[in-house]
Amino acid sequence: MRHGFREPWIVVFWFLAPALAGLALFRLVPILIALVGGFTGTKLTGETIWVGLRNYERLLDDPSFWNSVRVTLLFNLVVNPLQILLALGLALLVFRPTPLVPFFRAAYMAPMTVSLSLTSILWAILLEPTMGPVNGLLRAMGLPPQPFWRGEDQALATLVGVASWKGVGYWMVFLLAGLLLVPKELHEAAMIDGAGAWQRFCYVTLPLMRRPLGFVLVADTAANFLLFAPVYLVTQGGPNGATALLMFEAYQAAFTYLDHGRALAVSTVILLVIGLLAFFELRLLRERGA
Amino acid sequence: MAGLSRRASLAGVAATTALLATRPLSAQAKTTLKVIWMGWPEGQVKPLMDSFRTARPDVELQVETIPFVQIFQTLEVRLGARTPDPDIFICDSPLTASYAARGHLMDLTPHIDARRFTPSAIAAASWQGKIYSAPFGSSCPVLFYNKKLLREAGIPFPEPDVAKRWTWEQLVEAAKKLTDPAKNQWGFSFEQQERPYMLLPLAQSLGGVALSPDGFKATGYVDSPAFVEAYGFMQKLYTEWKVSPPGLFDPNLPVEQFGNGKIAMLVAGTFNEATIKNKYPDIEFGVAPYPRFARGKAVTPTGAWHIGVNPRTRHPKEALAFIDHFMSHELQVLWFELRPYPPVLKSVWEKEAHRFETDMWRIVRYELEHTAVPRPATPGFREYEDILRTALRDITTGADVAKTLTAAAQRIDRELEKYKT
Repeated sequence: MRHGFREPWIVVFWFLAPALAGLALFRLVPILIALVGGFTGTKLTGETIWVGLRNYERLLDDPSFWNSVRVTLLFNLVVNPLQILLALGLALLVFRPTPLVPFFRAAYMAPMTVSLSLTSILWAILLEPTMGPVNGLLRAMGLPPQPFWRGEDQALATLVGVASWKGVGYWMVFLLAGLLLVPKELHEAAMIDGAGAWQRFCYVTLPLMRRPLGFVLVADTAANFLLFAPVYLVTQGGPNGATALLMFEAYQAAFTYLDHGRALAVSTVILLVIGLLAFFELRLLRERGA
Repeated sequence: MAGLSRRASLAGVAATTALLATRPLSAQAKTTLKVIWMGWPEGQVKPLMDSFRTARPDVELQVETIPFVQIFQTLEVRLGARTPDPDIFICDSPLTASYAARGHLMDLTPHIDARRFTPSAIAAASWQGKIYSAPFGSSCPVLFYNKKLLREAGIPFPEPDVAKRWTWEQLVEAAKKLTDPAKNQWGFSFEQQERPYMLLPLAQSLGGVALSPDGFKATGYVDSPAFVEAYGFMQKLYTEWKVSPPGLFDPNLPVEQFGNGKIAMLVAGTFNEATIKNKYPDIEFGVAPYPRFARGKAVTPTGAWHIGVNPRTRHPKEALAFIDHFMSHELQVLWFELRPYPPVLKSVWEKEAHRFETDMWRIVRYELEHTAVPRPATPGFREYEDILRTALRDITTGADVAKTLTAAAQRIDRELEKYKT
């Protein structure tokens, strides 16, 4: 008997081993390096030294770090609910099979096929304040041209817009799959009971969408916390720190200020924040179900 | 395959085995040098490398070209690994101290005859009294102007005479007349709208100093009244007088706009003369010296690309042969023909004097001897440059000048701290 119990586990282990090895090598090891590296510094001549909490102490009294925290939180507070609402809206729009729906589904998913760097460059050109076609269009319509990426008040909003243009179609796919799994019978039953469209959405669709919504919420938050390409390629964190997301701060610490310890400390902070948020997001959605 | 006889396929296997067996031998005979180079057009890189390949057929060159916007980060990553790769790399002259302080440059003092080079090139190549990078080019921006647009606006041409150098105040008045929003035409632009290289002379013209003499303190320098006044002036080009197109941070864009007749006056590096002539043959343009403030003195930026040797190279002899070849008169003349940066070898100025008899080169020669101020010598130049660049970028988009510069100075101080040992 004992023998028979153990064997399936060994088989399972060997089947999972390649994936586990990949997970360890490409996820856990880098995380460990970041956790430990946050307590180290590099001497000019390359030797790594133990500095204890110094990297974190310096972060705490660094105004640019705090600005970065503020910008990152603000960005995520706006971009995540916005993207999920839009994705859900789009999923509902393309849910019912009407003649043009396949076209719209494809159209909303199209930005998914363009890489994030390409998306950034595309929108940098389109929204270029002086020579960009969007401002050309505004001028032709008699409207004042906008600074977009180059305006301190507009840069973050532009970033939200571009990230959503790219992301919403992707998240829509998951929510669409969730919608398709809601049994028709429940809607029919609710209709017989006299529930209107809005009531059916609130009391039938939404509760059954908890799992796909939970996944999208956590995955979208993580993706947006790690957003880097448009900041690096287009705004460089500016103007005046308006788009200095934490990921860019980490990049700058490593490759511009040659301070790997601080870069790893910032990465650790990002990891902790994402972990905490994911924990609360999952709990929030679970509690409602209970 | 079906038609292939067993004998023939066996012979094929034998031949392959023989080939594989001999390859390591021939590879051993040839030394490979790995080179990281700037991503200039291939036509400006390959002839130089081929020249060395011809001179040293026993050395194999593996050249990697990296675009300007990525080259410094790439070098950081590659050198930071502290391996023998690359053997040789192109080195921006103001970064010499930064690389040298961190042990990324071989001491070339015994190898370079300082007397052959212009004193400013040797100064830019040196750190703590030793030569760490081999001078390969210098630089000097001039004022390019579109003759047709100035003529139409009734503005007399700025003269190619350093004694009659335009002031910035004069330039702004002309630029206002040359700006026409209806035609999307701008009066003036810098080629590099955000780079300290091109913009430091504004503050230096008013007596500003880029960094403390020991190279470690920016507070009291970068936020001094001269800096605030100079970059307040720069800001007004974009926000108040609106004579400069904002946000063209890629240096290729203002040059392109000048070539298309959309920018009337452009402060830009000498190598652009060839670009404009080749790409925009219809533009009739003149050249004048880099302006100064009315109450200030004339200052121009200088310094450019040098070549460094990785001290961890496994092939120091071949790497030094590469340096020797690139420091030769013939190669530097070839380089000047390919991409005209002001030469660093005295012999090129002397023996090729006929090339320097144009207005532009007469101006450049004067500037290099009288007004050129190199960027500050500090091991933290990479950090200094990036923080000041971001500040200048923010100032062009309307940020409070004094506040931005004060914050930048504090940030620079913080980053330079690590070099004080």
